[in-house]
Amino acid sequence: MKLPLKWLRDYVDYNVTHKEFVQRMLWRGFEVADIIPEMNVKNVYVCTITHIEQHPNAERLRVCAVDVGGEETLTIVTNATNVYEGCQVPVALDGAVLADGMEIKPTKMRGVISAGMFCGGAELGINDVEYEGAGNDSVLILNEAHPNGQRIQEAFGLDDVIFDIELTPNRPDCQSIIGICREAASALGQPFKEPMIEDVLGEGDAADYAKVTVLNPELCPRYCARVVTDLKIEPSPKWMQLRLKLVGLRPINNIVDITNYVLIEYGHPMHAFDLACVDEAHIVVRNAEEGEVITTLDGKERTMSADMLLIADPHKGVGIAGVMGGENSEITENTKATLFESAVFIPANIRKTTQKLRHSTDSSARFVKGVEKVNAEKAVNRAIELVNKLNAGRVIGNMIDVCSADLSEKHVRANIAHVNEILSTQLTGEKMCELLGSINIPAVTDGDGINITVPHFRTDIENGIETDWDIAEEVGRIYGYDNIEPTLMYGDTFQGKLGKEVVQEDTVKDTMVSLGFMELYNYNFTSPQEYDVLRIPKDDEKRLTVRLSNPFGEDQSLMRTTLLGGLLRTMEVNCNRKSGHGRFFEVGNVHFNNNADLPEERKLIGIMCFGEDEDFFTLKGAIEHLFSVIGIESARFSKGGGEYFHPGQKAIITIDGEQIGEMGTIHPAVQRSFGLSTRAYIAEMDFRRLCSHMAGIRKYKPLPKFPVVPRDIAIVVDKNVGAQEVIDVINSAKARVIIENAHVFDVYYPEKPGDKGIPEGKKSMAFSFELRSDERTLNDEDINQAMKAILKALKFRLDADLRS
Amino acid sequence: MLNELAKIRDDALARLEKVETESELNELNTAILGRNGALTAILRTMGKLLAEERAQLGQAANAAKQQLAAAFDERKTAIAERAEARRIEAETIDVTLPGVVNIPAGKLSPLTVVYREIRDALIGLGFTTFEGPEIEYDDYNFTKLNLPLDHPARDMQDTFYVNDKVLLRTHTSPCEARALMTLKPPFRLVIPGRVFRVDEPDASHSPVFMQMEGLVVDRNLTFADLKGTIDTFVKAVFGENVKSRLRPSYFPFTEPSAEVDISCTICGGVGCSSCKGTGWMEIMGCGITNPHEIENCGLDPHEWKAFAFGVGVDRVACLKYGINDIRLLYEGDARFLRQL
Repeated sequence: MKLPLKWLRDYVDYNVTHKEFVQRMLWRGFEVADIIPEMNVKNVYVCTITHIEQHPNAERLRVCAVDVGGEETLTIVTNATNVYEGCQVPVALDGAVLADGMEIKPTKMRGVISAGMFCGGAELGINDVEYEGAGNDSVLILNEAHPNGQRIQEAFGLDDVIFDIELTPNRPDCQSIIGICREAASALGQPFKEPMIEDVLGEGDAADYAKVTVLNPELCPRYCARVVTDLKIEPSPKWMQLRLKLVGLRPINNIVDITNYVLIEYGHPMHAFDLACVDEAHIVVRNAEEGEVITTLDGKERTMSADMLLIADPHKGVGIAGVMGGENSEITENTKATLFESAVFIPANIRKTTQKLRHSTDSSARFVKGVEKVNAEKAVNRAIELVNKLNAGRVIGNMIDVCSADLSEKHVRANIAHVNEILSTQLTGEKMCELLGSINIPAVTDGDGINITVPHFRTDIENGIETDWDIAEEVGRIYGYDNIEPTLMYGDTFQGKLGKEVVQEDTVKDTMVSLGFMELYNYNFTSPQEYDVLRIPKDDEKRLTVRLSNPFGEDQSLMRTTLLGGLLRTMEVNCNRKSGHGRFFEVGNVHFNNNADLPEERKLIGIMCFGEDEDFFTLKGAIEHLFSVIGIESARFSKGGGEYFHPGQKAIITIDGEQIGEMGTIHPAVQRSFGLSTRAYIAEMDFRRLCSHMAGIRKYKPLPKFPVVPRDIAIVVDKNVGAQEVIDVINSAKARVIIENAHVFDVYYPEKPGDKGIPEGKKSMAFSFELRSDERTLNDEDINQAMKAILKALKFRLDADLRS
Repeated sequence: MLNELAKIRDDALARLEKVETESELNELNTAILGRNGALTAILRTMGKLLAEERAQLGQAANAAKQQLAAAFDERKTAIAERAEARRIEAETIDVTLPGVVNIPAGKLSPLTVVYREIRDALIGLGFTTFEGPEIEYDDYNFTKLNLPLDHPARDMQDTFYVNDKVLLRTHTSPCEARALMTLKPPFRLVIPGRVFRVDEPDASHSPVFMQMEGLVVDRNLTFADLKGTIDTFVKAVFGENVKSRLRPSYFPFTEPSAEVDISCTICGGVGCSSCKGTGWMEIMGCGITNPHEIENCGLDPHEWKAFAFGVGVDRVACLKYGINDIRLLYEGDARFLRQL
């Protein structure tokens, strides 16, 4: 909302610095986002040209002696032809900044130093509206005498500023000069000089000139209209044009400018129809017919739907309610009579209309935020007052008012004690009434309550459960939040705690970091193509994606079901930046469309490494280390996993028989699609399932009392037998002793059949394990028997032979 | 014979002087004291001597043998010591050369670091963590929070929709509705999570960002309690010297509502370019929970009061680390992560 200080001064005595004003408004909940000078130039002054002579070296230049009010006469070189001795012009001196941001310094021009430059309207950012003659494409010759050396802003009376104020949606009344000035007056501690609208009675009865029928009062609770005939369409006066310009509106003609002026001043959108173009001079407010087309003022054809509200005559549409008037009935220089519309439309409907038409205007923006029904009447009468003042036509008597809205005053009552309780204040009822009075909310106390007559413009104060809070907000705001002393909560004490899952997440993340991994936060959006690139089969669960109805684009239209794509894109980013090695992880949610109301949300952990020192086993080592830190002892890796992995280098990870994830080397085809020159090793696990296997409080197990006997064996076995299979067989052998800590320590694939006595299709593996008993020290007999049992089991289950 | 013995002894001692290595020493030892050594040979000839001579020679031979053995031991120790000294000398390194790390440095995202700081500050005030889904009902995200359909304030938050009833949550506040409906008051919650808004990414906007919300529900909560809690929280997160202030604002889910400003963390409140010369930085929103929200979630707003505050983790992270482009937090550039 732009508030020109000039306009503010009409209603409030402005007697503080801008900085102070900004502060005071801030404490009332109105943030001044910017202070814009009316004329955005620096170091430009009034000067008189005392002498002009031809430039010695340039035919088209002239050298002027100018008086800028100082002792010294300055020299300005110009190519302007309209200046003459004795005339006054604006001159930009050293350090000047012009409207377009150009900076001025003394310059040597063909051997003569010019102290600055004469300015025209363009350099000053003004035109005829601000100063007569500024619209000409030449140096501006002042048409009134000013003291030399006066700042040009002062000379032109454009020394004020425009405050750009941010409004909160609960205060639609402040989308108007009147509304914001009311708040400003209170903030400044000054009376608000509310303008009285002069009642222009006019002649005759508007009902004889026009008729209004509202067919859908639910969407249009009030329609006020007044008629003006014998129009003289001409430009509006300079003062009105200037104000419209200050708030960023383009002056058009007196009638249109009046509607815009009232829009800004009273915050109520209006429209002026050429009454001659409204058939039978009959305005009909009705729903559009599906597909009905209307051409709006901007010359665009717009197709309406049946839920939109149309302003029509008996035969055709003449405007889209609340959005824009029709081209067929706009005010032209030939318009003889007009009907001013000042109506109330329902915000939700206008909102929908602007969304569907993808078109919003100053008017629709105000309707969407909510306009007020008493203000509608004020606005149209203010327009009539301006018509009269501008002598723009003959005002016809009476306002046409089709009103189904309740115009009665709203009364609410707030409980003083409760308001004090909410704010933690000890204000009396009288004090509260005084505070409310300062923003024109009349209130009287009745003992333990205050009775408030809600002014028509305060639509945000409601009668109901929220009344005490509404009033607390107003009282607190005016009293000053800063005057409320902070306290600490008292009452029950609470033991703060982290949720179990939060602690688990912390532990996992910290462990990953200790292993050299960097944490990522990738976006949740992904593209349908990514699933093809990742070779995910059509019937895979990962294809059950949630689709956004209004994504940025097709490539960000899905919610991810896997972290893989994000990880690979991270790798791409880093490889493009010459970072050829990396360890990354992300803990994040993915969503599956499972046809329930809300999609299934799963938290995943994705782990990735790439670069020279990495391979499948460095990744696996990191995962195993993670498991060991979080107390998971029974994890198993078995062949298998998604299509995005290298078929020979992928594994499914299970814990206690439950599959929790998978890992592998990324498939060469996927690697190519992502444009990666090195291999990526990636694991993805279900975070909650993983955590469900995390040891909570770990229990101590007694240490072995009797000596442990370490044993190694080397076996020859089919080359496709996995180490884990062998370990499983060793562990389950009927050895009558305890077998523990079995692990593989050597694998040998013969280079050619028969190498080191290993036949074709076989390999050698060496294992180490420990034997012990809980009852006694093992003797040779026990050990030999155990070894025999183990070898027998290996032979029987895996056809494995002891390597000779 | 005695002369011969003395000669062998003196000769051996002289040779011993020149021995430098353990193997030379062993060689000499064998040559003198070994089974076929010179001294042993003399002793072997003793049988042919007279008893008197034999006793004399035996005594002398034993003395020589002991003397030589001691000398050999001494020499052996000296050689070992010299060898050790040489090895140590050879193993001396330049301790000023750079160290070697085999595990690269891992890093938490600045988002996690800041999230934990904020969370832990609130845990200290008796808050408990609470989480909810990222894809949420419109009803919980808006309607229950006093933002019915077509409420103008819905435009404050541009929303990604899945369908008419389901959306990507635009704030962590739907968890307020979930908590109010399911937990037994009083309680104090800290609610972290990802939220989503239709904002094209640029230096200060990201369509995905992280928010944290505090919610307190109790019988006698006041605006003054809110102020006190915010101030404690701000000091815990930003430092003891940082001041906070609450100024009037509007949020549909709170009334009265306030913006929280903190004294500028760059200039300390004097005024600089980061705070546009005001000395204050806007950091979060807060307020007394709107009675409609309390009622919509099944509690009596006259019995149960609540207040809430929400802070952007990204914004705090950017402030704390001086990050000028929010997108860096989501790009995964190792060069960026390594710095923080």
